[in-house]
Order: sequence, then C-alpha cells, then structure tokens
Amino acid sequence: MTKLIATRLSETPGLKTRPSPKKPLLKRIAKGGFVAALPFLAPALAAYVVFVIGPMFSAVRLSLYKWSGFTTDKQVFVGFQNYVRLFTKDPVFWTAVQNSVVWVLLSLVIPTTLGLLMALALNRPVFGRNVFRSVFYIPGVLAPIAIANMWRWMYNPNYGVISDISKALHFGDGSGVTFLSDPKVAIYAIFAAFVWQVAGLNMVLFLAGLQSVSKELVESARLDGANAWQVFRNVTLPALRPTVVVVLVLTIVNSIKVFDLVVGMTGGGPAQKSQVLALWSYSQSFLNHDFGLGNATATVLLLITLVLVIPYMIWSTKGNED
Amino acid sequence: MRLLAKGVAALAAVALLAGCGANASGTSNDSGKTTVTWWTINQSSPSADAALDKIITDFEAANPDIKIERTARAVDAHKDALRTAIGTSAAPDIYNYWAGPGLGGELVKANASADLTDYYKQYNWQDRFTGAALNPVTQYGGFQGVPWKLNGEALYYNKALFAKAGITKLPTTLDELNDTAAKLKAAGITPIEFGGTVNWHLMRLLDTFLEGYCGSAKFDQLVTNKANWGKEDCVTKSFTNLATWSKDYLNPGFIGINNDESSALFYNGKAAMALEGDWFDKNISDQKVNMNDFGVFPLPTGTGRLYGFEEAEYISKDSPHKDAAAKFLDYLTSTKVQQEVLGTFATQSVNKAVTPKAGGDALSTSWDSIFKDAKGLYMNNDQNLSLSSTTEYWRIQNLVATGGMAPDQAGAEFQKFLDSNN
Repeated sequence: MTKLIATRLSETPGLKTRPSPKKPLLKRIAKGGFVAALPFLAPALAAYVVFVIGPMFSAVRLSLYKWSGFTTDKQVFVGFQNYVRLFTKDPVFWTAVQNSVVWVLLSLVIPTTLGLLMALALNRPVFGRNVFRSVFYIPGVLAPIAIANMWRWMYNPNYGVISDISKALHFGDGSGVTFLSDPKVAIYAIFAAFVWQVAGLNMVLFLAGLQSVSKELVESARLDGANAWQVFRNVTLPALRPTVVVVLVLTIVNSIKVFDLVVGMTGGGPAQKSQVLALWSYSQSFLNHDFGLGNATATVLLLITLVLVIPYMIWSTKGNED
Repeated sequence: MRLLAKGVAALAAVALLAGCGANASGTSNDSGKTTVTWWTINQSSPSADAALDKIITDFEAANPDIKIERTARAVDAHKDALRTAIGTSAAPDIYNYWAGPGLGGELVKANASADLTDYYKQYNWQDRFTGAALNPVTQYGGFQGVPWKLNGEALYYNKALFAKAGITKLPTTLDELNDTAAKLKAAGITPIEFGGTVNWHLMRLLDTFLEGYCGSAKFDQLVTNKANWGKEDCVTKSFTNLATWSKDYLNPGFIGINNDESSALFYNGKAAMALEGDWFDKNISDQKVNMNDFGVFPLPTGTGRLYGFEEAEYISKDSPHKDAAAKFLDYLTSTKVQQEVLGTFATQSVNKAVTPKAGGDALSTSWDSIFKDAKGLYMNNDQNLSLSSTTEYWRIQNLVATGGMAPDQAGAEFQKFLDSNN
C-alpha cells in the first residue's frame, strides 16, 4: 500500500517534478529577466545593503577592535584578541553557548510537535474550531516583552499562580519551586514561556500546509484500509514535508537569536546561568561597554546561524529553480 | 526623465535644508526659546517625580527664554541611552549620573562631560557645596558635574517585628547583626528582603560584609586592585556570610524578583529589614503607613564610614547650550530649591546652607545623626569597579548566593577575572 501511495504522490502536481537540465548561470539570469527587474529591485537591494549587510560587516570589523562604544573614544585594532578572550577567558560565553544549543534543540522538538498536534486536531470539523485556532494563535502576536512580564508575575515566588501551584503540590523541597531563582531551572522556565508563545504560530503554518494535502489521496488510502496513523505517516506527513522544513528553519532562526524573553524574565541570571548568545553579545556591548567582545560574540552567533540556515537556503533556491 | 531628475534633486535639497534647519537634539524651537534637554533616571517615588516637575515649572516661569525638557528612564535604559548619544547631536545638554569612578568616571574618561570650572567661578559653586559633595566631582581633575544628591545607605527596620523577635538593642557590629537575623528567623520572621534580578540590590549586603570584615583600608585596596581578592581571608569570610544570609535570612526566591517587588515585603510587614538609601523614607511615606513604625540604623561595619554614593548633574561636553544649562543647575542646587525638596530625594542636601527640617519624623532625625557621625564614605562597588568587573562581581555574588559556588573560591575567581582583564 505504501508503494501505491508513494506512486500516487509522485503523480500529484507540485509534489515532485522532474529536474530540468542546468543552463549556464549568465543565460539563466538573462532568461529570467533579472536585468529587466534590476531597476525595480534596486531600492530594496540598496536598503538591504545599507541596513542589513552593512551593519553585519561593521559588526565583524568591530570584533577585531577594542572600543567602548562612545563615539568620543578611539577604536584600537587588536586582531583576534577578542576571540581569544571570548573562547579562553570569558566566564559566561560557554554557558551562553550551551544554553543557546539546548534552546534550539528543545525548540525543534517541543513547540513544533505541539504546533503539529494542535493543527491536526483543529483541521477537523470540531465544535469551536475557529475560536480555538484564534486562542492558540494569540500568544504569537503579543510582544515578547509583554509575555516575559506576564510569565515573570506567574513565576513570582510570593504572588505568582505557578509558584502557588508548585507550593500546593509540594514540589521542590516541599515548599515549591522558585522557578526563575533556581540557576538549574531558570532557562527551562523561560523556555516554557517561549513554547506558549510560538506553538500557536507553528500551528498556523501547519494548518496552511494541511490544506495542500490531497483529499483524494487521503480518501484512497482509507479505502485501501489504512488506519489513522498510517494515513498520517504515509500521506499527510510526506505532503507536509515543505511546511515541516519551513517550520524547522524558522524555529532554528528564531530560537538561536532568542533575546527578549530572557531579558524580560531573568536578564540572563541568576548568576548568568540563563544567559544566551544574543543577550550576552548585547550585555558585553551595551552594559559592559566592550564592543569588541560583544561583536565577537555576535560574529560567532552569525556563523552558527549561517551554518544552520545555509543548507535551507540552498534547498529552497534549488526548489525555485527546478 | 530629465525633468523628473531635477524634481527629485530639488526635493532632496529642500529635505536637506529642512534637516539642517531642525536641531537634531531638539534644543531650539519656533518660539525663540532655548530648550535645554535633561536626562534623568526614573525617580523612586511619585512625589519625587512631582517635585522635579515643579522645579522645572518654577524655573521656566522665572526664565521665560529657557525651556527644560526632561526625559526620565529606568537605570539601565538611562545608561544605554547615554552611551549611544554621547558625542552625537542626540546627546542631552544635562545628564544625571552617579559620580563614582566606575560610572560617572567612565563617562568623564570618554570625554562626555564638560569641565565646569568657569561656571563654578561664575556662580561661586565651590562655596555652595559641602566638602563631601564636592569630592566626587573634583576627583577627575577640574569640576566634572555639579553635585545633586549625596545618598547614604543603612538598614531600615520594622519596630514591631524586632519587638516580636525580642530584639531590644540595635546591632553595632556584624556579629550582632548576624545574631539579630538569627533571632528574627527563630521568631518565624523573614529577617531582610532583597530583589536579586537587579544585582546591585544584593550587592549592598556583600559590600557591607567586605567593609566590615576587611576594614576600610583593605576594602579600598581591594576595589582599586591594590590587594588580591584571592588571598584575603576577610573576602572569604564575607562571601561565607553572604551564603549564610542568602540561605537562611533572605526572602525565599529573592534572586528571581526585583527590588520593587521585594520592597513590598518590607512595607507590608513581611520582612523585618531593608538595606536602602535615605530616599527610602519617601518610598515608605508614599505607602501611607505610619512612619513611626519604622526605624533606621547605620550598617554595623565597625569602621564608622557611611555607605553611599553621589549623583551629579553633568553638562555634556558638546552641548550648544551650556550657559542655559548652567543657569538651570544653579537654580536646581540653590539654597531655596534645596531647602524645599529636602527629604524628597535625600535626607541631606549637598548645599551646605540648607538646614535640617524642624520637627521631622524619626527616620529623618536618625539620618541626620547617621550622616553627622560618619567618618568618611565608602561607595557601592558598582561605583568603584569598572563595568565589566561589576558584571563579574555580580555573577560571583549571585553564584555564591544561590549555592553555585563555594564561598572560599569566590575571591580567587574574581581575582582571576581582574587579572585577565587588566
């Protein structure tokens, strides 16, 4: 049956197309109307270069300098000294790296799975479907700093509802968990707020993807005797593949640069134990006035992001050209 | 096409001229008034905020050619905004900042503030301020800034809770302070409140232990990098006491809340002590509670020095309105204004002609004697240390406070950072 469905999938328009033979780049550019489109692209391209590419190069350049950030202060070239300091002497950098990696890994599993489950549940004709969709989506449109404030109050050890529940259940040493105060728990407590924020967004993306799943294929799979899991595994999931990739890439990008929630809930504390790369870069530059070290951290973050995102860019470019 | 290009060029020229005409820092307006921009931190009480607004209104009424435009920000936002603006046309004419080497000193080093020696002569300011208030603004050479307020910090306490715990005598040494905390805890009372997310709040307790256990001379050597943090027993003793207090005497979950949230515990009688500055009198009175229910006593370090810091008003080096700014600062620190606001921002004035208020409450009377009896000043360590060292000091302080680092490793860990960054 799997083979049959696979065959049918391959016949479905848009799901699999035969790759066209490669032409020389210049010919492809000319044929694609790039030159004609250039005047129209130029303003956006100029803005992109000035506001995105320029600052990016500036950050990399500054990572090779010692500078306090004051325009009145001179920038002194120090080569790779900031990177050496960062990797060997910075007491917080590796904690920030570890937290960022853990955050990305957890993000790839928890909010994406939750988003998919919610989308599957709300893709059926159930009572109050639109209300539930809206309710789950609302956290995604709230400002992250507002979410941080809300959750900080819920975790407040004296007045917070979550703390009260943990006290009532005698969690921790029996007197409840001090979520944002415990260096081992704080980062996960912030992550819970992140899940609440992004699961609804993922749900919307998956819902959009589910609309492209061929009803005929699902129907024929059922006629062939497939149960719900088999339909999902062999029909829905393969058809959702482009959506899954988009969700995963967006999740990686959003989670590697997480900043607002951490700032709003712990500021990287206690004792820098919930520190993440983006916030540590900011703290080095704007709080410690060490722009060299801050930009070295930002450059490391940029490289990590590129390593994770470039494969997606190649994949998506190929998809467009084929 | 050529017409279009000419049109675009003309529009660009008009826009450019308009840009040149407008003052980027907003320091002049159509009415011909000089607008002086003044950046301050948010005031800790609504009444202090209202007092600043009244000062501005009164000054503007007396000087119709000058408009004061005040922008208030939270502490960290204020620091960020200044760092970004200094040296650009967006810099304010006057900025409020802490005068210690780690904060105000950094801005002086970055050429942010103007030397006001000429204005000190013009307005005879050198005779206006107390010696203690002048020291922080003269320590960098010349006159960097005008003293605004000199705050002392001490221990506020709830009289009823002390009585309930059977405490009849206020502590005068750190050992007695430890005993006091133990008695309060034994009586089921949270001895002291702190909000750990802001770092500098709990830092006051560690600074107190360092001054008490190390003594004045060693404390000063430590903060100026002339003594080794890793080799002084008093440093280990201080961190050990911090660990004990964090575990046994502070409000549960202190590290996850801020100072405003923790202060509520003191106002509501849920914590017996608060380590705060003299501005806290106003915070308490704003709660509409009976001021006589509370008392304040000096930090029992045994050195006799007052724990505190000064805030000054600085004029930006590139300000195009220095004369108007100086005129406003002269008004702000005048005897008339300082006498009126005494007790609102601080219990003591930087202006030596200002006299204590007659018939003040018990708290302000206590502060009068705390300032009078003080034998010198030791400053908060976020004023003494550089910004990056302060960040590390706080990290280690919080690690010890949350059990993440043994107290006997803390001094060496901090020294390691100082050595690798100097």
